Amino acid sequence: MKTTPYVQVEGLVSRYGERTILDGVTFDAHRGEITVILGGSGCGKTTVLRNIVGLLTPASGRILIDGQDIHRVSEEEQEAMLRNIGMSFQAGALFNSMTLEDNIALPIIEHLHAAPRTARMLARMKLGLVGLERAAHLLPSEISGGMKKRAAVARALALNPTLLLFDELSAGLDPVTARELDELILSLKHQFDMAIVIVTHELGSIQMIADQAIMLHQGKVIASGPLREVQAAEHPQVRAFFDRRPRPSETRNGLLAAILAEEGDARG
Amino acid sequence: MPNQVTPAAPTQPDGRSVVRLLTIPAPPELWNIVLRHAASGTHVIVDLSGVATLTNLEAAMLLELVCEGKERDVSVRLSGLSENARQSFVGLGIEILQQQDTAAPRFSAVERVGQITLEVIEAGRRLLAMIGEIVYWSLLAPWRGKGVKWDRINEQIVKIGLDGVPIVVFLSFLIGAVLALNAASQLRQFGASIYIANLVGVSVTREMGPLLTAIIVAGRSGAAITAELGTMVVSEEIDALRTMALSPGRFLLLPRIGALLCAVPCLTVLANLAGIMGGYWIGVVVLGLGSRNYLQQTAQALLINDLVTGMVKSVVFALLIGLVSCYRGFYVRGGAEGVGVNTTASVVTSIVLCILADAVFTTIFFYLD
Repeated sequence: MKTTPYVQVEGLVSRYGERTILDGVTFDAHRGEITVILGGSGCGKTTVLRNIVGLLTPASGRILIDGQDIHRVSEEEQEAMLRNIGMSFQAGALFNSMTLEDNIALPIIEHLHAAPRTARMLARMKLGLVGLERAAHLLPSEISGGMKKRAAVARALALNPTLLLFDELSAGLDPVTARELDELILSLKHQFDMAIVIVTHELGSIQMIADQAIMLHQGKVIASGPLREVQAAEHPQVRAFFDRRPRPSETRNGLLAAILAEEGDARG
Repeated sequence: MPNQVTPAAPTQPDGRSVVRLLTIPAPPELWNIVLRHAASGTHVIVDLSGVATLTNLEAAMLLELVCEGKERDVSVRLSGLSENARQSFVGLGIEILQQQDTAAPRFSAVERVGQITLEVIEAGRRLLAMIGEIVYWSLLAPWRGKGVKWDRINEQIVKIGLDGVPIVVFLSFLIGAVLALNAASQLRQFGASIYIANLVGVSVTREMGPLLTAIIVAGRSGAAITAELGTMVVSEEIDALRTMALSPGRFLLLPRIGALLCAVPCLTVLANLAGIMGGYWIGVVVLGLGSRNYLQQTAQALLINDLVTGMVKSVVFALLIGLVSCYRGFYVRGGAEGVGVNTTASVVTSIVLCILADAVFTTIFFYLD
């Protein structure tokens, strides 16, 4: 039997200026489950995460986390909610002026009021989880893109959140590291009963970790549910994604049809 | 090779005409050849059977021709494309032809005024929100258990204040000396060289010290603040801070404004002293005025009012520089270029506002005195 969803996104509409990015997105994410958000570039996957974490305010719709609407609570309540959410950004978004361990120690010092030395030790433990304990003293500018991504995961784990949001987690990582991260996420799910929402494109990773999947296309949900059901969906965009088929050629060859004269016209 | 073109065939009864091209000339000529005789609502068929291959540039020019035709309500179609030439267009969607109107729309003068007014209102709203954050985090939040981040303020005081001491002292000393030299050439004629002390003392403490310090701080630290915050915005560091329930107002804004409010008045005191010493050096060493005389004269000339005036100004300048540089940093748009543009704008705006404020203050104090 399913528990009450930990995250409930209901009719989410999000706009940048006059452009509608998300148009009525609805889905749930449960604790102890990994929900992946799929879709082509620019379909609004990242915008979903930014709305969940309160960086964007929905034009309409609501987002409940553990029954509370993150956009309609007091500042103190929102802060308490955010402490239970860990997010890693697409490019890492590490603080460039701080070493990796200081990056992770910052929320620990501020929210758990730990002494700096203790916070750094805890930070190194978190870095150890993603295999970066040896890079603890390096600045973000001194490490590779893949390492930044792993460090961002470690920072998202800093406060032992109950909801983890990962944006393009395994993109750009070597297969071994990507696999290790997938295993880490699976173990987090089991050990800490976390709700995990991941934006990803990697088919291998999706097959390995996803329990639920949501497929977005042009800001709308075109398929959602358990991974197996989504994979079997007949929608052409879903098929194209899972079968790795290029987009249907009629949409890609429209130009030639539009500029060519019909046979025999030239003889006019 | 001259462009070989068959003259446009007379328009057919169904409104179609055919132009045969052997080469693809550059756009104005291409449009002239193809569209010159085409009336609105007609069809033109460009026969390219004489063109074996198309370069990418030629293909782009042909697409431009189709778009140009559309704007003139003339339907332009290509025919006789060789298999080779077709390859330039294979796999492309029709959206390419719809991307022509991306140029910024032109607005009338009235619309521009309206737009600028809205922008100013928006900027005012953001600025007020920023001031609100400063007040909240400095006065209200400490009562709710979220103290001021003194360690971060200290860090910024070192960057803005301590590291700025050498340049502020050096330039103020030079300005004091220059003022003294300029005054000397006039006052010597009347045997009133000793009044150099009055002139340098008063003008440095009331005017040059605070203003020079503000200009140096705006150029040095204001630019650094904007660039740093702007880069943090671009690399999503500020968003990351927010997702960790750490307020940028508390961690970034207040420490910088607080540090400026502490550091600028202190730097101004040093600038005043250095400026007076610059005048002293010229007066005593170069012009041979007595050391004791000079210092006594300075002490007599300076009123407490002069020092207070200078200090009040320096606090206002610090606030202006802080607000401008943080505002410009937090509202960077458009990546690395945006950071550059806003950094320049930050320095220019800060200096302009400081000089404006100085003029207002000087006028007010003039009438108060």
